[in-house]
Amino acid sequence: MDALDKVTGKIKFFSDMKIEGMLFARVFRSSVAHANIVTLDTAEAERLQGVRAVLTYKDVPGLNAYGAIIPDAPVLGYGKVRFYGEPLALVAADDQETAEKALGLIKAVYEPLPAVHSMDESLKPEAPKLHDRGNIARHALILKGDVDRAFRDAHLTLERTYRTQSQKHMFLEPEAGIAYTDELGNLNILAGGQNPYRDKMQVARSLNISPEKVRVINYPAGGAFGGKDDVTVQIHLALLATKTKRPVKLVWNREESGVGGFHRHPSLITLKTAVSDDGRLLANDSRIYLDTGAYQSFGPTVLDVTIEVINGPYLIPNIRIDANLVYTNNGISSAFRGFGGPQGNFAIESMMDEMAEEMKMDPIDFRLKNLAKSGDIGPFGNSMRNMEGIHEALSRLRNSPLWRLGKELPPKPWIRRGTGVAIAIKGVGFGTIPDYPTAAVELLPQGKIKVLFSNPDYGQGVNTGNAQIVAEALDLPMNEIEVVNADTQYSPDTGSSSASRGTFTSGNALLVACNKMLDRLRMEAALYLESTRDGIEYASGRFWIKGNESKSVSIYDLAKGLRAKGETLKFEGTFEVPRYPEPVKGTLEVPHVVYMYGAMVSSIELNTLTGYLDVKNVDLMADIGNVINPLLATTQCEGGIVQGLGFATSEELVYNQDEKPMNTNYTTYIVPSIADIPRMYVEFIKTYEQYGPYGAKGMAEIPIVPVGASIANALKQASGVRYYQLPLTPGRVLSKLHEQGQG
Amino acid sequence: MKVSQYTVHSPRTLPEALNILKDATVRPIAGGTDVMVQIKDDLVKETELLNLSYIRDLNYIRDDGDFIRVGALATYSDLIRSRLVNEYSPVLVEAARTVGAVQIQNRGTLAGNVGNASPAGDGLPPLFATGAKIKLQSAASEREVDIGDYFLGVRKTVRQPNELITEVSVRKMKPGDYYFFKKIGLRSANAISLASVAAVLVPAEVLTFKEARIAMGAVAPTVIRAKGAEAAILNCQLTDEKMKEVGRLASEEARPITDIRATAEYRKQAIAGAVYEGLYEIVNGFRSPVNGSGA
Ligand SMILES: Cc1cc2nc3c(=O)[nH]c(=O)nc-3n(C[C@H](O)[C@H](O)[C@H](O)COP(=O)(O)OP(=O)(O)OC[C@H]3O[C@@H](n4cnc5c(N)ncnc54)[C@H](O)[C@@H]3O)c2cc1C
Repeated sequence: MDALDKVTGKIKFFSDMKIEGMLFARVFRSSVAHANIVTLDTAEAERLQGVRAVLTYKDVPGLNAYGAIIPDAPVLGYGKVRFYGEPLALVAADDQETAEKALGLIKAVYEPLPAVHSMDESLKPEAPKLHDRGNIARHALILKGDVDRAFRDAHLTLERTYRTQSQKHMFLEPEAGIAYTDELGNLNILAGGQNPYRDKMQVARSLNISPEKVRVINYPAGGAFGGKDDVTVQIHLALLATKTKRPVKLVWNREESGVGGFHRHPSLITLKTAVSDDGRLLANDSRIYLDTGAYQSFGPTVLDVTIEVINGPYLIPNIRIDANLVYTNNGISSAFRGFGGPQGNFAIESMMDEMAEEMKMDPIDFRLKNLAKSGDIGPFGNSMRNMEGIHEALSRLRNSPLWRLGKELPPKPWIRRGTGVAIAIKGVGFGTIPDYPTAAVELLPQGKIKVLFSNPDYGQGVNTGNAQIVAEALDLPMNEIEVVNADTQYSPDTGSSSASRGTFTSGNALLVACNKMLDRLRMEAALYLESTRDGIEYASGRFWIKGNESKSVSIYDLAKGLRAKGETLKFEGTFEVPRYPEPVKGTLEVPHVVYMYGAMVSSIELNTLTGYLDVKNVDLMADIGNVINPLLATTQCEGGIVQGLGFATSEELVYNQDEKPMNTNYTTYIVPSIADIPRMYVEFIKTYEQYGPYGAKGMAEIPIVPVGASIANALKQASGVRYYQLPLTPGRVLSKLHEQGQG
Repeated sequence: MKVSQYTVHSPRTLPEALNILKDATVRPIAGGTDVMVQIKDDLVKETELLNLSYIRDLNYIRDDGDFIRVGALATYSDLIRSRLVNEYSPVLVEAARTVGAVQIQNRGTLAGNVGNASPAGDGLPPLFATGAKIKLQSAASEREVDIGDYFLGVRKTVRQPNELITEVSVRKMKPGDYYFFKKIGLRSANAISLASVAAVLVPAEVLTFKEARIAMGAVAPTVIRAKGAEAAILNCQLTDEKMKEVGRLASEEARPITDIRATAEYRKQAIAGAVYEGLYEIVNGFRSPVNGSGA
């Protein structure tokens, strides 16, 4: 819908915007990872010509904390610093250079505290405590059956530890926004974000003003991937705009996004898994640790997703999950496409592969044998639904040319080929958390339908998908549909763009709204056509009397009549997302009613001389329900695969001794380039989700979840060496090849 | 300093340029693919830029007997498209194709790669392996320096501030010469070399060699020749064992550092592998020699 305007540059992102009289903001950030703040001296910066405001924690009128789930991160630091790059002061100045210069004049004196570099360190009893309640932010213990007895009786038990790294979102547009107070005294915040109503709430809470005084617009943003789900620039902008009474713009630079922005939770997962002699999974005992960094942000729900995927879509009678969210001084981990899915999936799907190998079973057969079926009871007492899709996906992959042909001998002896499989499960939406998305359609008498909802379209195409859903529901052409996205002044609260819930939630709410509208119009048409509501028919924007098409009226003419009567032409719909009544103890949202599934095969070529992994092909068979827009869905899958490729092979935020992130730009932080992109084949299994809008589930996260494991499994086949840690960089791959005499 | 704050000179002729350069606070800029990044990182100390882009006389690739003369404005894309370079210095073409990505190849110049004097410059090992000369001109003088004498260290060269690199003379390879260029990076495009190697082998008989020049990038403060490895190749049968030994010798001569991209140990292992790969490809018929017919 907005593709052309985006590629031609017609759409202005917030970082491109200029407003008459605006000031430029910069954030003063800590240059230590863990310390007590002794003094923070802003006097000199305030005196600098052209500086309009310098704010510290003292200038936060409301709650000096933010956090999507638990507000535990200071808006502006005070007392203690817990990560390198923590915001301590804000500057607004007439121009960017002055703001920059002012930062250099702010002096912070710290009393250093020993930093906690890793979860291993954080968990030691003698570790410095990051928060009063200790270094474990959250803990859950979930039991089903009796794992210990299962281990005693098992044919084979394997215990393995898996690690994954911190991944950055690397959206092309960094965290950015602009804020101003309008003539009515309302605070307008235009910023890249994923949930305008939550942003609004967090801003109002910290400024101690009524949410009614805050308007947030999140569209358009240049990418988000979870990294803009929690607050980034919004509260800072609000503080500065309020203080200076001027429009203020704040755009983080790339390096700042690297140190101050969010990233994926590193994971440390130990699985102890048992099978029977005929290859049936008997038990899975998992110990999960996720590094949430200095504050929680989305940590609790990220942990929930890892909990939810750690047994895959398998039927395992005995389960223990011991899950922990751990504080360290490594920035702030938060939402990232897949939440904790890719982490947990890497562990369980590596384990499944190794188990199949030990059992001398084909890895696909092994998985098929253990896959739950519809009606089976899942690990959380939930009923497994619609399992036919993933069964079909996996069976079909076995016949894919990739799986069959991956084994031919390459011409150069140092090149080894391998093919690996992995399957994935990921919930759609917020699980057991009550979720009542509201959206609206508005009839414009001049001949358009306005579609209003708040899940931001930050590039994934939810605007287009929803326009299609409305076009379908009202039987109108796409060019009569207009979208107003993610603007709290107009769009009702549909919640966030996250958890693959965009289409599912707003699509459903819009269907409710469309039905209300058609219902109301039908009655109006009955009146106008002098018939009854049952006596008329509707198609393509017109009502007519059954059997007499010449007596008809268009919805837009009806709109004129309704407007003349002073009636509203806007219809809101609210959808109740199906859920289990209670979360599993220790979690916020486990389990879900609706899950997406995916099965993936990757083929690689490993250079045993350099450790370089060339991922040649990735095939994905996904069950995302009915597909609303095949092009968008396919490109989302391809994007997810490529982001997963980076997670699997090259991306890792690295800290130095002082816990400063070292590789914060595109030169040093290695995202795949266009030349690294494998040949991708994406196919959607034909399924229909009864709760979805037109049978759709969600989809944005499923492609990324199995990539790491499928590539690591391919690498095992190629090299004979199993890797338990991502990313599979040439250095890491080669050193282990040498260790195992395979180099 | 911001780009807009620099004084930029854009002369149309070489003499004008050399005249401007008399003032030592001027930084030459060709494609700008290094300079622009360095400006952003505040690494350019000069306050004035000498923009070479409009000097038509520096934009050429010319045949001159034993040499290909490459003007200071010739880009990687020019090299890749040049029939002459493909014919007589395919090793340079092979390297040029690995530089950045197409956008960078369209802007970046070979002379700029020399001027930047990074040990990881991918244009440089082929110049060492083929034996190139760098022409330096000032308002008052002109000289040619062998590539092997040109670099003094990381970003240190014999070039005086008032001199401009006006030409890189690439010595032609001979029909029958074998070659390879290998680059090890962290991704397939826009990657800085962790290690690179260019080799030119002059045959004695079928697959024995009487001359070998192997140059390694990113494993020392400047590009270095792997003399021990070169010697080990001469006049012997390149058995698998032998090729591995050559690789090992090359890696022993490497003195890489550990940085955020890779460990020194990895670079050493990888360079050994890359040398072996190149030799194997030659010996096993994956590579054809220079044929002097423009193929
Ligand atoms: C995204 C990206 C990817 C890159 N990938 C690679 C890569 O794969 N391999 C690689 O080797 N490099 C790479 N580079 C670096 C760069 O492109 C090359 O070094 C290129 O050859 C520089 O040429 P230029 O014309 O752009 O030089 P400029 O940036 O204009 O200049 C480079 C240096 O040389 C000096 N200089 C330029 N011309 C002259 C002259 N005639 N006389 C004297 N001094 C001169 C300048 O003062 C400056 O110090 C990359 C750069 C970027 C931004």
